Order: sequence, then C-alpha cells, then structure tokens
Amino acid sequence: MDWTEILRFSRGPLFHFSLIIFIAGMIYRLVRIIFLGWEKDRVKNQGSKWSGVIISYLKGLIILPFIPWVRRTFRNNALTFIAGGLFHLSLFLVLIFGEAHILVWQSLFGVSWAPLPNPIVDWLAAVGIISLIILLINRLTHPVLRLLTKLPVWINWTLVFLPFVTGYIMYHHLWFPYEVIFSLHLIFVCLLLIWIPFSRMSHFLFYFFSRTIHGARAGKRAVSP
Amino acid sequence: MKEKSIYEHLKEKGLSRRDFIKLCGTIAGMMGLEFAPPVKALGKMVHPDPTEMVAKALSSQPKLPIVWLEFQDCAGCSEAMSRSSSPLLSKLVLNDLAIEYHETLMASAGYQAEKAKEECLKDYYGRYVLVVEGSPTLAEDGIYCTVAGKSNLDLLREAADGAAAIIATGNCASFGGIPKAKPNPTRACGVGEIIKDKPVVNIPGCPAIPEVTTGTILHFLIMGKLPETDHLKRPLVFYGHTVHDHCLRRPFYEAGKFADNFDGDRARKGYCLYHLGCKGPITYNACASLKWERGLSYPVQSGHPCLGCSEPNFWDGGGFYQGQSAALIPPAAKTSALAAGAGLAAGSTLAGINSAKKNRAKKALASAAENSPTDSTTAAPPEKKEE
Repeated sequence: MDWTEILRFSRGPLFHFSLIIFIAGMIYRLVRIIFLGWEKDRVKNQGSKWSGVIISYLKGLIILPFIPWVRRTFRNNALTFIAGGLFHLSLFLVLIFGEAHILVWQSLFGVSWAPLPNPIVDWLAAVGIISLIILLINRLTHPVLRLLTKLPVWINWTLVFLPFVTGYIMYHHLWFPYEVIFSLHLIFVCLLLIWIPFSRMSHFLFYFFSRTIHGARAGKRAVSP
Repeated sequence: MKEKSIYEHLKEKGLSRRDFIKLCGTIAGMMGLEFAPPVKALGKMVHPDPTEMVAKALSSQPKLPIVWLEFQDCAGCSEAMSRSSSPLLSKLVLNDLAIEYHETLMASAGYQAEKAKEECLKDYYGRYVLVVEGSPTLAEDGIYCTVAGKSNLDLLREAADGAAAIIATGNCASFGGIPKAKPNPTRACGVGEIIKDKPVVNIPGCPAIPEVTTGTILHFLIMGKLPETDHLKRPLVFYGHTVHDHCLRRPFYEAGKFADNFDGDRARKGYCLYHLGCKGPITYNACASLKWERGLSYPVQSGHPCLGCSEPNFWDGGGFYQGQSAALIPPAAKTSALAAGAGLAAGSTLAGINSAKKNRAKKALASAAENSPTDSTTAAPPEKKEE
C-alpha cells in the first residue's frame, strides 16, 4: 500500500468532502434550532438584553474558567473541571497556533499569523492528551457518569483523542513512517469533521449561540417571562 | 578469448594498484557497504572487508554492458551523471564499466548507432543492465515517443527481453514523473508498470542523484544482484530515510523556528523551510546525506524547500510553496455556498414538515375541545409539547 497516495487522497478529496459535509451539517443543525421558535416579547422589556449578553460572556469566558470557585461543578468535582478546562485550552491553542495548523488555515482562508513556538505547542498537546485520558478514566469509574454515558459520548471521546494522539506521534516521528501517521491523522480529522455536526461536539459553535440567547434572557426585565 | 577484467582494463590505462584499492574503498563507501556479507571459508564464518570484496569483484569481473535508453525526458539524469560530484566514478561507469549504447552520449548517430545497439543486445543477451531514463508512454501504442521509427513501447520491450536487470533512473522512468502530470495526454507511466517479468529497481529524483545511480549499477556489478528495495522498488540504502531525517535545518524545526519568506531575516539565519512548503518529511531520498557536487550542498541547504521529487506524482501534489499540511483542494466559495444551501434547504424542509405537523395537531386539539366543551383541560397550550 502506498501511503504517499493515501496521504494525497486524505489531504485532497477526503478533506474536501468532509469540509462540505461539515458546512452543510452545521447549517442544517443551526436552521433546525432556529426554527424551533423564538420567544416573543409579550411585555415591554425594562432591562437591557445587551448587558445580559455581555455579562453572560464575561462569566462564560473569563470568570468561570479562571475563577472557578464560584461554580458548583468545581467544588463538587475539581478533576472534571481542571482536566476539562486544560483540555479545551490545549485544543484551542494547538489548533489555532500550531505551525502546521496555521498552514491549513492559510490554505482555507488565505490569512496566516505568527505561530506559538513548537516546544510550547508540544507541551500543550501532551497536556491535552493526558487530560483526555484522565477524563476517560473518570467517566469509566464514576458510577453516575457511567449511567449517563451512551455510545455517542464514547465516539466523541475517541474521535477527539485519535487526531490528538496521532498528531503528537507525528510531530515526534515516533514508531510510524511520517506519511503513514500523517495520513491517519488526517483521516481521523476528517471523520471528526463529519461527526461534529451530528453530535454534541457541535457545541464548539453552538456554545456561543446559547450563551447569547441565555444572556439576552437573563438581561430581560419584564413582568411576564 | 577470455574477456578482460575491469582491473586489467584499468591497469592498461595506467591506474596503479594503490589507486585501484583507493577506488574500491570509495566505491564500497558509496554503496553504503558497512559490512560485506559473511562468507564461509575453511569451516569458519569470515567477515571480509568491503573494500577487499569490491577489489575482488573488479579484478575478476569483465566490464558490465549497459544499455541506456531515453524516452519522454529532459536528459537531466544523464546530464547529472556526466557532471556528477565524483568525476572519477562517473568516468569509471561511463568509460570503464562500459556503456554500450547511450543515445545522448554516444558519438555515432543514425544507422550506425542503431546497429551498435542491435549488436549489443545480441552479444550480451541475458547479461546487460538496461537503464531507462524518461517515461514510456502507453497512449496509441506509444507513438508519442519514437526512436528510429520504433515506438518506445517496442523499444522498451525489445531491450528488456534480454536484460539481466532494469534500472529506472529519474522520477519519469520510475513513476511517470513530469510527463505523467495532469492531464497526462500521452499516458506516461513508470517502467515497472510495463515490465513485470524482470527485476526493476527505481532511482527516482529530478534528476536522480548520480551517486545513487552509479551506486546501484556498481551494486549489481559487485554483488551480482540488485540492492534491497522498499515498497516503491527504491534501494533502501539510499531511500531508507527522509530528507527531513538528515536535514541540516532540522534543529530549527525542532525549536519551532521557521522562515516565513525567502528574503527575510529568518531565511538568512537558515531557519526551517517547512512554512515555505518543504516536503522533506515525506520525501525519501539521499539528498541530505550524500548531497550534490561532491557534498557541497543540496536544495534545502541552499535555501529552497524540498519539492519531494523522489515521490510518485510529486508534480500534482499541491503547490511547491504551499505547506505540506495545507488542504490540497480547499473548497471554493461556490462549493461552500452550495453546501450551506443544501444544509439550509434540508433544515428548512424538515422544520416546515414539523411545523405543519404541529399546526395539524393544534387544529385537531382545538376541534376536539369544541366537540367536548366540558373537557377543557385537554385543550391546554399545546406548543410546549412539540419538539
């Protein structure tokens, strides 16, 4: 089997196809959610929805991640909170500021920016992988979580873990020839791209919509809901 | 009459024994012969010295006849050979190991040249090594490349028939190379795709590194067989590592220091060229270790990213200056818009069906409430139950 050809296929048609599915799927999900219906303002709003939205974002992006003591999740289960937080931070930074990933963004959007030094990205990736493993162990051992976990959640975990770990192996040139692990990395990324719109992974985008809607609702001051 | 051995031939030309042994050492080193294969002698396993083995082979073997054919190519591989970094070696191969037929380098032309080839194919039947440079073409029975009125397919099959081994030099002969680039009007392909019944070894590169070609020929001469190859039939000795593995800019890669353009400060400092499209990590070749021009330099050293010229279809593998992790076919704005439109249509259709269903349910409930006005609780707000 010629892995150079497989690599070319995964970089070309496969990635192209997955991106199309991803775009179509995300729009589909968004439309479905929007058409579920909007709340009408039946009574005059006395507060400010915009301030509600701003507070909601400040809480969601600054206070809760970095001053976690206000949150019950942290007080009750610090492990989930720290590992989950580190995982998200690592995923974001590696994806946006890794040299190789910047080249992908450049090919897609035509803009590039300064990368983080590779050793830092490397450590962040290691942190992400370890966090994912810790979260998996937590999920496997926690009795309540085990009851709540169904097949889609295992798929979520696997499809995020595989690109992470193959990327790490690739960067360090471990065990596999470069083109083999590169192809595997891309194939898993493509699977992930196809899976995202149809799973809870879509929260990477819908998180911001729900924060906005909830913020607006929280900022509303009216007699009737 | 017994044929003269290569050593005898060289001795006649005035090469001293000392120089001959030196030469043998050079050859052994170039072939990557760290150890010669062990030999059983007097009941013991003996590990001969590689130089000694080369010397024995050269003193006992007669000249190796080589037939060098050119098809769709630029003669760059021959150029590289004739100006290779080690003039001694190329001279050795071209003059003293004997090339019986080489279309570009031979002095004769026309019928004389064809006759020389015919005689060579007949005299050395089953013994000669066929070196192919340039890609054969399959379209229209090979009429897109003809020599002396014969199509290249016929020429290749005719010469391959009596060859002891076939060496495809350059990316064109190995995998189709530039003639095979899209849309490939002549249906160019590698030699290995046409000749299946003979041992074929590929020496891809654009051009092939001359030392690698000579090294492979010498390997056949000395060992009597072609070297061990990888899955693309490339000799492992030379194609066992990627350009990235031995790259002198590798420390900058590890440190995450990248040149972002060709003329900047970072480029002048010699930083890694990954960002500028270097294909080193997926390219198996000996550039970084053997180098060119007597070990003077190679593309990455002189500031140009690796093009990946020893890999199949390198010409169609995305832009040379596009990073190797970049998407090869980024979706065009139109494609993305179409995808988004499809999502929108599917979402709206399903939402419409849902809404119609909801309205029907509402009406049904309302009419039920009208029919039985006493049971007013069933007509409670139905909206919340949906979805």
